[in-house]
Amino acid sequence: MSHTLVSLACHAYGLAALVYLSYLVRQSQVLAVSGRVLVGTGLLMHCVALIEMLGAQGGRLVGPAQGMSAFAFLLLALFLALDVRYRKPVIGAFLTPLAVAVLLIGMLLHGGPAPLPAAVRQPLLPVHVTIALLGMTAFGVAAGVGVMYLLMERQVKTKHFGLLFARLPSLEFLDTLNRRLVVWGFIALSLTLATGALFVSTVPGLAWNFDAKQVATFVAWGVFAALVNARIFAGWRGRRVALLTMAGFCLVLVSFLSSYDLSAAGPGMP
Amino acid sequence: MEFICIGVSHRTAPLGIRERLALPEARQTEVLQRLAQAPVEALWVSTCNRVEVYLAAPSAEQARERARETLRSLGGEEALEHLYEHQGEAALVHLFRVASSLDSMVLGEAQILGQVKDAFERGQGAGAVRGELTRACAAAFGCAKRVRTETAVGRAATSMASAAVQLASKVFDGLKDKTVLVVGAGEMGELAARHLMNAGAGKLVVTNRTLSRAEALVAEVGGVARPFEELFTLLLSADVVVTSTASPVPLFTRENVGALGKARRGRPLFMVDLAVPRDIDPAVGTLDWVHAYDVDDIQKFVADNAAQRAEEAHKAGGLVAQEVARFARERALREGMPVLARLRQRAEGIARAEVERTLLGLGDGLTDKQRKSIEAMGRAIVNKLLHEPTARLRAVGPQGEGNRLAGAAAELFGLTEEEAAAIAPEPTSESLTNPVVATGSRR
Repeated sequence: MSHTLVSLACHAYGLAALVYLSYLVRQSQVLAVSGRVLVGTGLLMHCVALIEMLGAQGGRLVGPAQGMSAFAFLLLALFLALDVRYRKPVIGAFLTPLAVAVLLIGMLLHGGPAPLPAAVRQPLLPVHVTIALLGMTAFGVAAGVGVMYLLMERQVKTKHFGLLFARLPSLEFLDTLNRRLVVWGFIALSLTLATGALFVSTVPGLAWNFDAKQVATFVAWGVFAALVNARIFAGWRGRRVALLTMAGFCLVLVSFLSSYDLSAAGPGMP
Repeated sequence: MEFICIGVSHRTAPLGIRERLALPEARQTEVLQRLAQAPVEALWVSTCNRVEVYLAAPSAEQARERARETLRSLGGEEALEHLYEHQGEAALVHLFRVASSLDSMVLGEAQILGQVKDAFERGQGAGAVRGELTRACAAAFGCAKRVRTETAVGRAATSMASAAVQLASKVFDGLKDKTVLVVGAGEMGELAARHLMNAGAGKLVVTNRTLSRAEALVAEVGGVARPFEELFTLLLSADVVVTSTASPVPLFTRENVGALGKARRGRPLFMVDLAVPRDIDPAVGTLDWVHAYDVDDIQKFVADNAAQRAEEAHKAGGLVAQEVARFARERALREGMPVLARLRQRAEGIARAEVERTLLGLGDGLTDKQRKSIEAMGRAIVNKLLHEPTARLRAVGPQGEGNRLAGAAAELFGLTEEEAAAIAPEPTSESLTNPVVATGSRR
């Protein structure tokens, strides 16, 4: 049942991606509404599948496929919320293909959870994972918005009045949205680190061994902390911030994938 | 009634001819009254790019001759050489295209619709625009609205000043909390200031070497005037700068603008240079936080927009064709089958009276829901009873068999001509404020 629902959701997302890409070429209200309906329908089916799967697994996501599936779900949920709030369907042309790619890569990845001491499996773990996923989603959307910013800035600077120049939102809008998302993502990442540190200091068998996951997470936190501070105190904005957001998001992704043992066989979607 | 359009426009006549035909309002009324002797109707559309007469007349030949004679008397024999004429559906298509700004010199410009509406109101005031032209104008206004909302023909900028505003909207998310600095209070500066204020700029500051000119400009468009010596202090707080001075050397260089970077804390600055020679050194644009555009850039933007407009105009042409066809269909139905309308009016009148009588008899004991159900039942009986004859009359059309059936229905139900007068009242100028309602159901 879950697999069927996720497969249907994936089809809906794929169609939505095509619709939003068409919207980029030909701005029409019909396309914007169709995209919104397709993403909404996909999210509904995906949500049911995730609830069913979480119920069966004691509220835990197991394996990279399920993690990626939840990430794709949150990416699109956040996009839909932004679209409803700001009415900028063109963002969908960048985020829906990203979400579809995340979902498809998740389907291709085989692996299981990294070995964890049984003591970690306490009620705090789903909270830790959820906050981490929410933060990664905020950074993912911020990175997408950063790509849009770079494209738009290039059009504005080179005075190329083509399709993207006509369709993309203003630089100020993209920069402001990036700032908001990065701040929320940074709060979530800080909470993730705090709960993670709690595990390390209280659960026997866990230690600060500075493996790829821990290093990537710390470096990502450092990048985003610097970014938020530079924005507030040094007035950083624009291209530098967009590039840093994308770099930070890549580190968060490394940290996320390091949570799994990709060589092991594990459960698949959703 | 046949539609005719006769006139001259920027496409067919030089300015000299158009000037001769451009009449003051009082003369227009006089000419209209002469042309529109019942049952003929006339509409006189006069703008800087066109002078056109639209006529609705039972005899096209006679009306055309009278219009040509009028135009000859105003513009001389030479004017006749530049006239164009459209008749029937072609005249309607032309009216719809004019109102939708598809025949304008600047495709999609917004003023033409207001000018046609003014002409329509003048015509109504003079008694020259009545049923036929009123309905045609209502449909043309509805079409113009559709073209404006469903295509991008009116969205692209085609003047330097409006282009500057559009370009600013690619950097800033609206201008309402932005400070706009206009450097130079000449003609270009004035136009830019007006456009930026119309676009909702939060604060306008004008500076000029002669302060009194800046003060005169802000007195007209709003904002504050500041001495030219404060230029770089003003630049510190500006978000948008439009400059158009006669300075022989650039006012803004990478050095003097770049020096403000730290104090501005990277806040973006959008600069538009409308001056030749340039006020802004091209190197200014290499600063990360500055987006600088000169006259060539803006001209390129305007040219790209003009190409986009032409593409959209093609799309809008399809909409005009749809709207004209719809209008023609409705007109054929209205003209050819008054019997249908009379029959429906009679039936609805009977149903309404019977429902009222029944409700009165039942007293106050009924709930709102029950009352509404009885009213709905009355309407449903009329609709169901008349559905078949309506469909049949529509299917055969107004000519031939349709006439025979309509005549039989009129005879059978004893429908009199007097009843027709109460049907389909002519739309008024007030009803045209909502053309969709005035032209009947559509989408």
